[in-house]
Amino acid sequence: MLRIKNVHTYYGRIKALDNVSLHVHEGEIVSLIGANGAGKTTILNTISGLIRCAQGEVNFEDQKINGLAPEKVVGIGISQVPEGRQIFGPLTVLENLQLGAYLRFKKKEKKRIERDLEWIFQLFPRLKERITQIAGTLSGGEQQMLAIGRALMARPRLLLLDEPSMGLAPLIVKDIMNTISALRDSGVTILMVEQNARASLRISDRGYVLETGRVVVQGSSDELLNDADVKRAYLGKDYKTFWEGRERV
Amino acid sequence: MKRQDLEQVQLERLQSTLNRAYKNVPFYKKQFDLLEIHPGALGSVQEITQLPFTTREDLGNNYPYGLFAVPLRDIVRIGSSAGTTTKPVVVGYTKSDLKVRDTITARFLAAGGVVYMDVVQICLNPGLSNWGRALKGGAENIGASVMPMSHMSTSKQLMAMQDYKTSVLLTTPSYAMHMLEVMGAIGIDADSLSLKAILVVGEPLTQDTRDRLESALNVDVTTGYGPSDVMGPGIAFECHEKNGLHISEDHFLLEIVDPDSGVPRPPGETGEVVLTTLTAKAFPLIRFRTGDLAAIVEGSCPCGRTLTRMSGITGYTGEVLTIRGVKVHPAQIDRILKGISENFSPRFLLHLYKENHQDMVEVWLAIHEAIFWDEVKVLENTMKQLRKQIFQTLGLQVTIKLVEASTLEQYAKPSGGVIDDR
Repeated sequence: MLRIKNVHTYYGRIKALDNVSLHVHEGEIVSLIGANGAGKTTILNTISGLIRCAQGEVNFEDQKINGLAPEKVVGIGISQVPEGRQIFGPLTVLENLQLGAYLRFKKKEKKRIERDLEWIFQLFPRLKERITQIAGTLSGGEQQMLAIGRALMARPRLLLLDEPSMGLAPLIVKDIMNTISALRDSGVTILMVEQNARASLRISDRGYVLETGRVVVQGSSDELLNDADVKRAYLGKDYKTFWEGRERV
Repeated sequence: MKRQDLEQVQLERLQSTLNRAYKNVPFYKKQFDLLEIHPGALGSVQEITQLPFTTREDLGNNYPYGLFAVPLRDIVRIGSSAGTTTKPVVVGYTKSDLKVRDTITARFLAAGGVVYMDVVQICLNPGLSNWGRALKGGAENIGASVMPMSHMSTSKQLMAMQDYKTSVLLTTPSYAMHMLEVMGAIGIDADSLSLKAILVVGEPLTQDTRDRLESALNVDVTTGYGPSDVMGPGIAFECHEKNGLHISEDHFLLEIVDPDSGVPRPPGETGEVVLTTLTAKAFPLIRFRTGDLAAIVEGSCPCGRTLTRMSGITGYTGEVLTIRGVKVHPAQIDRILKGISENFSPRFLLHLYKENHQDMVEVWLAIHEAIFWDEVKVLENTMKQLRKQIFQTLGLQVTIKLVEASTLEQYAKPSGGVIDDR
């Protein structure tokens, strides 16, 4: 579904992505994990068109999409849930969700948008309870639900999630992860960036581990969960010495 | 898997392998820096030809742990083989490496017909014990009942085969032929066996050997490929079509290059097999020159696998010999012979021949005053010691024949030369 080849992305003169290639099959949940500054978010932003890559190719359903404006990318079926939710605080829950369908506001879409709202409320009953509440007053978990709901209102086939568990209590993290799993079952393909590698790999099919803008390990989630490299990269720890832990006293 | 998908997976895995090797293995970093190659610059799998080769000498020079890409505490298995320099080749595996090896080996076995109901018997010589373990892991992975390698005599092996109702035999082509002969000699009838398949490794499988085994034992004979000293035997494997070996391209990149110039050879043309690991964590190898000669088989396979095929091994490059599947460098024997006494430079030739379909090695050693003793006993003891040392280093039984220097001269070969009568 999504195929990225040899992508190089810069922030000014700083190279954030160095020859990154990855792919996502339809119906998969794929996690990008790694320490802060490894380039995870940059990958999502490169896909969604928020940043342009200097080199390389981003293909979505065999169509080249790098260079497309962000709203065009949304139009072809890719939505991003940004890090830190970025909901519209002063607006109500309903208004936030409606804005998610911004690109679809046409007369004949009205019925379908109504139906999608219902679908979102099924996924997140909590949002229905708070439909008229000002979004800024929601709890962190509810805001995350709203951010995901808003992205879903564009009816994406590929959902990009940036740190969905950030700043949430463990119990809420579990909730959010379950919801993401349920979303996949309803036909949305997911590419997710997570600091909480364990939680995200548990619901993922595969994962890529990034270090300083490069992919250093990839594999099935089971493989990665048991990989010593992953533990290191996720903790941001580097190899100290070859004999680490085995030095003779 | 579609070719396009496979190529994407290969590219991703190659890039992360290079990133890891560059970051964690000083040898590769030095090599890349010397040629001013940045691993991040590789844009396609085909561009791998820009990278330098890794040779068996490099492996020996980095003894023991120099090429490991993970800290020692991540290593769960250390395998070593004689190598071609003074030092053995040491290969490390992480837990996930062993899992991958079992998976690939299982692929080879499954393609040869092994299923969980089978009783699998492994008969390999000690020089191939790394493979014995890989095959055991692969067969157990399938769920078959496995009899690992042992030191039983051929007649005992045959007794076990008969009584334990072995359905699949894993061995070398020559040992399979040897077993067939011994069966005739001790009067075991093919009908009394439960064998349905023989999977052979270590040596090239000739059509003649395949035909004879298949007709005499009423079995399917297929073969797998992998250099015996550094990797598992399932890098490429035959399917039931028996027309070329499918390469496990999701875990290995295989190139065929001109042995002299190193330039890639087009499909169909024979050249040296060069391997790059795509998933190895502990011991990544980049463009490893195997010394084996083969060609890429063109066209798609009727079995439906999309993996590219290679021919069986048709020969070997340079000085490295393959004897009973074990890689041997004449210099290794030279070093052992030198150990007889100080300042002794031995002159010898290696005579290779077949006996009962098995590779035999005779070391023809020129008589020299340094190794001439009046007492026969001392001489006999020395020869015994030498045989023992060679066996311990290479895992091969050899005979040593003392000859006149003039006898060697008539072959007009430098010391360490090979007379191959196989």
